[in-house]
Amino acid sequence: MIAALGAKAIQDVVNAGQFGRFAWRSTVTSIRGCTRKSTYPLIWTQMFLIGVHSVPVIMITGAFVGMTLAVQAYDQLAGMGLEEHLGVLINISVVKELGPVLAAVMLAGRIGGALTAELGTMNVTEQIDAVRSMGTDPVRHLVAPRLLACLLLTPVLTIFADMMGVVGGALVSFLQFGINSRAYWMFSASAVAMWDVSIGIIKAFFFGGAIAVISCYKGFNCREGAHGVGEACTEAFVASFISILALDFALAVIFKSIYEIFWPVKSIVS
Amino acid sequence: MEKNTDGNHQERTAHGGETIIEVRNLTKKFGHKLVLDNINLSIEKGKTTVIIGPSGCGKTVLIKHFIVLQRPSEGEVYFKGRRVDNLSERELNEVRTQFGYLFQEGALFDSMTIAENIMFPIRQHMKIRDWREVDEVVKMKLAMVGLDGFQNYFPARLSGGQRKRAALARAIALNPEVLLYDEPTTGLDPIRSDIINELVLKLERELGVTTVVVTHDMKSAYKVANRIIMLHNGKVVADGNADHIRNHPHPVVQQFINGQVGEDDLAVLRMSGSAGSSQFLPRDFQ
Repeated sequence: MIAALGAKAIQDVVNAGQFGRFAWRSTVTSIRGCTRKSTYPLIWTQMFLIGVHSVPVIMITGAFVGMTLAVQAYDQLAGMGLEEHLGVLINISVVKELGPVLAAVMLAGRIGGALTAELGTMNVTEQIDAVRSMGTDPVRHLVAPRLLACLLLTPVLTIFADMMGVVGGALVSFLQFGINSRAYWMFSASAVAMWDVSIGIIKAFFFGGAIAVISCYKGFNCREGAHGVGEACTEAFVASFISILALDFALAVIFKSIYEIFWPVKSIVS
Repeated sequence: MEKNTDGNHQERTAHGGETIIEVRNLTKKFGHKLVLDNINLSIEKGKTTVIIGPSGCGKTVLIKHFIVLQRPSEGEVYFKGRRVDNLSERELNEVRTQFGYLFQEGALFDSMTIAENIMFPIRQHMKIRDWREVDEVVKMKLAMVGLDGFQNYFPARLSGGQRKRAALARAIALNPEVLLYDEPTTGLDPIRSDIINELVLKLERELGVTTVVVTHDMKSAYKVANRIIMLHNGKVVADGNADHIRNHPHPVVQQFINGQVGEDDLAVLRMSGSAGSSQFLPRDFQ
């Protein structure tokens, strides 16, 4: 029993170390890839697959987030006579928290699953070994373009989700609850600052990186056979989902600290 | 052993030729499973060496060590007298361009056409000034394996034999010095197998490459080999030319080359029960 626990603990440490090395190598290779023209066509292809194809699903996700928030929050605010402040609650929640997180979760399912399945299949059919056998670094050729595409496009997709969340929330507020649009936007504008939008976008950048690195790692290390690929996809989604939530928490703490440091400066300047 | 001017060791094989690949005391373990057990051998330049042995005896693992797709648990691997098993992946990329590797299932990139597959190593390692030249090279490589005209096909549209030939065209794209074939005739009918054998001989003759073939197809082994090495339970049990192997006294070698099942395997089969007791009969459902 103790031996088994020890073996499991050692294996987990080994896995964590391997993942750390993979993440570090992927990051360094991607930074180098930015300066290499030969990488650009690979990045464009991945950006098309990851970005363009994800726009509809991300926009739908964003719209429903905003609409649901409006429905859920209206009664509470209306009870206090604050229904015109509904936009504040919806928009700050969408741009700061729910937009980036739910867009990232959706991307983890759509993009992460596809990345793991593609690379996992390449792994079990020896295509990754074939890349290595021809003197090419598979991390440079396969991981770096995907990582860069995710890093660049997750924030952009989050902006789409945010936009649709704002629009969805506003439409429900105006059409279903008859809230005065002028008051709605005025209160929203006074409460949602550029800082809040930036936090959401910066978070999305980290979420994109986490999704790409975890999905590629799982694909590169998946076990043989169809079952192995399926298992890797599931593990990649679960790990990405947990990482998104953990990163969300960590970044929230960090940004709060930063805000508290700079808030007095802002008051002095304004 | 002579020392080269560049400090590398250049050795001659027991067969008198110049060594291009050498493994010393090579041991490979996967977890607790011992796959290769203290192997020492050298591959002669310009010759065709065939590695035979039953499935799972470590043949593929051995040739993957030649190109360092696998790293040894213990022991050393040398290419042209230079130790390569301890090189970084970055340093190995340059070494690997001197190899062509035909994978068991071809390992063609299924998202690319055949032409793009062959262009892949050329794009990675050569400065391309004129794409027409690259198209010509692709055409020539495909013609060498008898697949000219298949440039725009995707691998999924090719038969098993065609896929192996296309993969072979990709393997020779960079004019390698060494060609490694992993079970090139497995899964092919006898005629397609013989086409592959003829291709192995043709490429050796025309390109002057050193060839290492892993196979358990004895007809193929006898046809292409200058030297045959037999692996069993991770060890070399026989090493010599075709005649030496044919007349080898080791019972394991004789069983393998004649395709006879051993007494141990038969005993296992007998212990598994008779066919009648291991299948459902109509009365079992009444």
